Amino acid sequence: MNNIILCVKWGDKYGREYVEKLKQQCEENCSVPFNFYCLTDNPTEPYDIPIPTTWDSHENGKFWAYRKLYMFKESQLDITGKNFLYLDLDVIIHQDLKYFFELTMDKPWIVRGWWNDIEVCKKNFSKFKSTPINSSIIRWNSNQLIESYNHIEKNIDTIFFTYPTIDNYLNHFFYDMYEDKSFFNVFPVGDVYSWYKGNVFPDDMEAKKIRKGCKVCLFNNSGETNDVEELKSLWNI
Amino acid sequence: MEYLKFTPELANDWKNALSSSEPYLFKRVMDSMNQSQLESKLWIIQELIKLEIKPKRVAILAGWYAQYIVPLLYDNFESLEFVENYEIDQDVKRLSYKFNKRLKEDKKYRITIRNVMFDKIQEGWHPVHKLGMDTIINCACEHMYPMWKFRELNKTIQKNPLYILQSSNDEQHEDHINCVNSEEELIDQARIKDVMYSGSKILSNKSTRFMVIGR
Repeated sequence: MNNIILCVKWGDKYGREYVEKLKQQCEENCSVPFNFYCLTDNPTEPYDIPIPTTWDSHENGKFWAYRKLYMFKESQLDITGKNFLYLDLDVIIHQDLKYFFELTMDKPWIVRGWWNDIEVCKKNFSKFKSTPINSSIIRWNSNQLIESYNHIEKNIDTIFFTYPTIDNYLNHFFYDMYEDKSFFNVFPVGDVYSWYKGNVFPDDMEAKKIRKGCKVCLFNNSGETNDVEELKSLWNI
Repeated sequence: MEYLKFTPELANDWKNALSSSEPYLFKRVMDSMNQSQLESKLWIIQELIKLEIKPKRVAILAGWYAQYIVPLLYDNFESLEFVENYEIDQDVKRLSYKFNKRLKEDKKYRITIRNVMFDKIQEGWHPVHKLGMDTIINCACEHMYPMWKFRELNKTIQKNPLYILQSSNDEQHEDHINCVNSEEELIDQARIKDVMYSGSKILSNKSTRFMVIGR
């Protein structure tokens, strides 16, 4: 099977039901064949793959954010496939995921948070916040992310020390807000929106609004304590 | 040196810089010009003069708009030939050149967008790069990984430069990822062996700033 959908479950913020729900959503919303895998520290299901631990010794309080980047070197995972789609556990899928597998793959793809005010992103670039890109959904083909993986391996302590999130790190090294020469392509306006932040700045920014015309809804950076329960309440919309 | 020489020419450059700042950057530009910023840069000049240091080629790490430190260096050290400011923020470049317009035009000031904890300085085309920098100034150590990494990265191209380092104990800002609590901690982080000066100062914003000069 060439098409692979991946998620990562580590720790206890999300229970197993989130993986099951994501898998169910994929099965209901993907019209091309795929295999589903979950990278996890607690493998119990046939689709589970043990998450590597090679970076664990560099734990410094920020490392939790970087575990999902193990998938950037997919050859170290026990997965056979070519076309990879990563999804965060806290997403709601509205439309056919076939779209992501049919993208032109000259470069890997990542979410551009179109809900962000780009001037705020630029202003906060050196403050390590307000990133324009979001790693909740990433689409890549085999080996397309190995450059980023190797960059982390080479500079692991500096990166974990400096960048509080993956998005921040990727924004500093693999995305360019100023010129269209980035390592990543970004999903176009209207593909992916944020439950807590809106869709497109400044015109479509209503929070907590379902937009079935978009492909996927993210629950990123809510800052709210009940975000997990809020997502659950929306599973059956 | 207790002041910056605010000449008519400098006033004109600064007026042009400030009037061309994008609105979304204006607050950051103002933050870069506050009392504490000037105090900390004057402190460098005062100590360098006392130590009778004569810098020739200076690399400033994360120098932001560098509107204070660059004219202060040129006004106080006749020995100075070239200053290069290494920044990560692309928005800084245009305004920094406006602030330092005449020095840029005289090819005495350059700003390069580079993350100095990941890439070596001076791998470029400029003739000065072949000579190496004799002085490295970093007034933003609290914003980055400990300075030993920079030294390691650049050890093959730098000939034992003088380091002038400042950091802070002000942990209230998210981007202060590497505050220190003493000048000794700053010395340790940078693995300075020959300490020519170390001290601390409470700035007008009530934070304590630490400075180390040495090799």
